Amino acid sequence: MGFSSLNMYSGGLLSLIYSAGPVAKAVMLILFIFSVISWTIMFVKFRQYGRTEREGERFFHAAREADSFKKLITIYRDNPDNSFYRLILACYKEITKRQKENNPDIKPGIVPIIENALKITISEESTRLERRLSFLATTANASPFIGLFGTVWGIMDSFREIGVRGTTSLAVVAPGISEALIATAMGLAAAIPAVLAYNYFSGRLKRIMSRMENASLYLINIIEK
Amino acid sequence: MREEAWYKMLIISFALHVLIIAAFSIPFKGSSKRFDALSSYSVNLVGELGGRGGSTGGGHAEKALPEKPVPAAPARVTKRPAPIRKPVKEAVSLSKKKVAAREKTTKEELSRLEDRIRDMKKRADYLDVSKTKTGGAGGKGGTGAGAPGLPFGSEGGGKPLDPATQRYILDIWDKVKSAWGVPGMTYKKDLETIVIIKIRKDGRIVDINVEKRSGNRIYDESILRVLRAVDPLPPIPASLNMDYMELGFRFLPGDLS
Repeated sequence: MGFSSLNMYSGGLLSLIYSAGPVAKAVMLILFIFSVISWTIMFVKFRQYGRTEREGERFFHAAREADSFKKLITIYRDNPDNSFYRLILACYKEITKRQKENNPDIKPGIVPIIENALKITISEESTRLERRLSFLATTANASPFIGLFGTVWGIMDSFREIGVRGTTSLAVVAPGISEALIATAMGLAAAIPAVLAYNYFSGRLKRIMSRMENASLYLINIIEK
Repeated sequence: MREEAWYKMLIISFALHVLIIAAFSIPFKGSSKRFDALSSYSVNLVGELGGRGGSTGGGHAEKALPEKPVPAAPARVTKRPAPIRKPVKEAVSLSKKKVAAREKTTKEELSRLEDRIRDMKKRADYLDVSKTKTGGAGGKGGTGAGAPGLPFGSEGGGKPLDPATQRYILDIWDKVKSAWGVPGMTYKKDLETIVIIKIRKDGRIVDINVEKRSGNRIYDESILRVLRAVDPLPPIPASLNMDYMELGFRFLPGDLS
């Protein structure tokens, strides 16, 4: 079915979009893109955070089992692409660096250095996990306003037509307003899931960060042993 | 996160959006039955006779008549084709049969039909006098030279409408036009709806028949709504001596511009 043969008054969403003016169409296209991208981010983050949390569980399990740092690093070597492994890697790098410098007394001076290295790693991981999450916040904040812009424009157009035709009949006014309101509806449809997802992922990210800090303390304890 | 995962999720997200839009578009399509309920069914005695006349009469005037009466644009008025040269007796018996078969006509309806037939007889007598003038050009406007509610052909090239009838038609059209608001989205569209209304002596609209639909439900509904809103119309002038009058209106979005 081509757009030309579409019955614009069948009441469907597509027909409403089709019969809207160019500004409203542009607004709806922007909102559609916003929505698609924000849902993509939601799917990706859902998977990413899920995987990170599972890795956290695995790390704590391994850390409880392992009695030395070497053993811990052996357990984790098979899965290098996760945040908790990067913590171990940061420790490992610092230790090997000191060993190359032929410093016999590693332990007393190395702990603060490892602590700093772990803090840096946690910060980097936080940035990495937080990446693109801000787009959800942008969608949540901007979409209703973009939709509102489309609505205001549509209503302006409707009023102009009322003026031109000199009639205030509901049959003249209502379709224009209906067209206009679809933009706000789409704005809200894009914004509401984005708000919910942003809050949900922010909470989840906080929990992951908290677990990473705990993991870093675990690591220091193991090194100090 | 790897890039291919992003692409994969982007495709999934896009597909999800398309599905949601499709889902919101489909369920509303079934809600177009209201229009069918509004388009009232009627026994179109005159239409039947006209059609019959066209196929059986074989005369000059019948050839010129098209199958469907369509009004000429400037007058915005159309009239149902009427038998001009055909024997009236045959038309009467046929219409009664069809009416009985389709509608199980009550006695009251039959008496009304007989009244109309009597009117038609009068008009047929009148038109027989002027058939050589009116019949040949009947096809142009698609309306024929005469109509039951309006005995004087004009668009068909027949005798022009008398001033009283013209004035009455214009009054009605002005009333309809002033009450009609073209729905916003249809304003610039190339739509055309032809509606035949049957007016009783006292101006009451007793029948609305959509002769041609525009294909746009809202547009057609706006017309039916306005016709119901203007009911009753001014009464048929006594000078016309008619119990009922049938008028056809062609509604174009540009009429209000």
